[in-house]
Amino acid sequence: MKALMWICLVIISLLSLFPFYIMTVMGTHYNEDLFKGIPIFPGSYLQENLKTVLKADFLHVYGNSLIVSVVSVVLATLTSTLIGYAVAKFEFKGRKWLQTFVILTMMVPTQVGLIGYIIEMRHLGVGNTLWPVILIWAAFPFGAFFMIQFMRDSIPNDLLECARIDGCSEPGIFVRIVLPIMKPGLATLATLVFLWSWNNYLLPLVTINKSEWYTLPIFISNLGIVHRTDYAARMAALTMTTIPVLILFILGSKTFMKGLTAGAVKG
Amino acid sequence: MNVNAERYDAIPAASRKRRWGPRMWPYLFALPFVLTYAAFQLYPILYSFVLSLHDWNGIGAKTYIGFKNYVQLWTNDPLFIKSLWNTLLMMLMFIPLTLILGLTLAYWTFQLTRGKRFFQTINVLPYITTPVAIGFIFSYMFDWQTGLVNLLLTKFGILEEGFYWLQDPWGSRAIIALMVIWRNLGYFMIIFMAGMTVIPQDVYEAAKVDGSTGLHTFLRITMPLLRNITVFLVVTSMIGGLQLFDEPKLLYGGWSGSAQVGGPDNTALTMIWKFVDESFISNTRFGYASAIAYSLFLLIVLFSVISYRLTAPKEDKR
Repeated sequence: MKALMWICLVIISLLSLFPFYIMTVMGTHYNEDLFKGIPIFPGSYLQENLKTVLKADFLHVYGNSLIVSVVSVVLATLTSTLIGYAVAKFEFKGRKWLQTFVILTMMVPTQVGLIGYIIEMRHLGVGNTLWPVILIWAAFPFGAFFMIQFMRDSIPNDLLECARIDGCSEPGIFVRIVLPIMKPGLATLATLVFLWSWNNYLLPLVTINKSEWYTLPIFISNLGIVHRTDYAARMAALTMTTIPVLILFILGSKTFMKGLTAGAVKG
Repeated sequence: MNVNAERYDAIPAASRKRRWGPRMWPYLFALPFVLTYAAFQLYPILYSFVLSLHDWNGIGAKTYIGFKNYVQLWTNDPLFIKSLWNTLLMMLMFIPLTLILGLTLAYWTFQLTRGKRFFQTINVLPYITTPVAIGFIFSYMFDWQTGLVNLLLTKFGILEEGFYWLQDPWGSRAIIALMVIWRNLGYFMIIFMAGMTVIPQDVYEAAKVDGSTGLHTFLRITMPLLRNITVFLVVTSMIGGLQLFDEPKLLYGGWSGSAQVGGPDNTALTMIWKFVDESFISNTRFGYASAIAYSLFLLIVLFSVISYRLTAPKEDKR
């Protein structure tokens, strides 16, 4: 029974890994060879594929994606932490109302307002730039909810009271006491936002149609369509796209899982 | 704080402003989120509703037509009904399967003494992969001529010749469901595992004393105690499932270079795909597409309420 369990676990894990492996291996072959048989072992065409990818302005697009993800992370964690702090650690009129508001916002899917959002962005004059892809993260309901929960559990009220009695200003308390304690929570939220904005496909697809502002998912799905469809080059590009997220994930797999499970266990 | 309040009346008006200080801070802290939400999410949502009552192509003049868009959509657009049907069918395929597989996987991994984190990490990898990659990989694996699946099936003599997976109405839906399962399985697994860590160990010990073992313990103790987690997963995956777009779109739109909308005979067309196609790809019927978005929103609310209702009364009894 135990052996059977192990075998099943190993098989499922292999199935999880297999597509990654294929992706990496395909990136090392000559495109036309891909259709002759199953590429099981790495080929020797990686350099050429990388050249094709880099010639197509890959680094510029990579930069775009990095800008989008980093700015989104900063914006989303900032607004979420601030409202989290207010709702979790202050008594004030409208606190309950704010909390309900956050939970309600979490239930509204972003797609509902997509058209309105895009028209709004066009009116603001930033329709075909990176801004629409970034600003959607400025208010991130899940982040706010996550921060409220996290603050409640991890910041002792006495500590804040002491600081107040010692004459520390409110922004001072936030920067010098709250933020350091919140480091693990910030890391979790930052990884999640990075991941989701990095992989976002729908929004850049409908807002960006200038190749100058492409992000990675859009760039790759358009790569090499003009002359010949170069699947191998795409796979090489995809591998390079996946690697940073992979590294981030493996480095912080513990905090990451905590973030993913945060909403669920509390219900 | 109380001391301050008592002295409040004695303070001259000039410094009363400073007393308002501490009470002002929470509002200031909450302000950035509320403002950005209002500007970039709430306003677009309300604006979309206004648009859904208009006939507008994005350039010309808007014509107010009341609820005609909705009437047209629900009574006279077979493609929309088909997209709704497709979405529900695919959800029916992947939600139960992911739940069962995820729970089993979590249960097995949870019992391991070594390598727990290792298996967790590996199985979550698909969840963090770019959907673009998943689309490409799957359309490559299920390709008619060169795909791995057909090669293996013909090699082992299961099929005489390659099956046209991506052009078959049920094949296309099944592959999309498979993509979703492959992507979400690890996520379901770690959520279930998080739920299992919360179950106190003495419950298991008591069961053991009473002579319960293996499968019995799993069915009678673990599963009922994971009820809330399961409800959470069902509700969120229904909400997510109704918004299915990346997988079908990338399975058909990315790899082949052709921009075939909806897969073979529109059997892979989901509601969001229909919405995006109607508003940005084939058409610019912003008013009509907004009506699709709002109908989807109503469906999501309806589904969430139903699934909460189905599970709530039983919880009260406990």
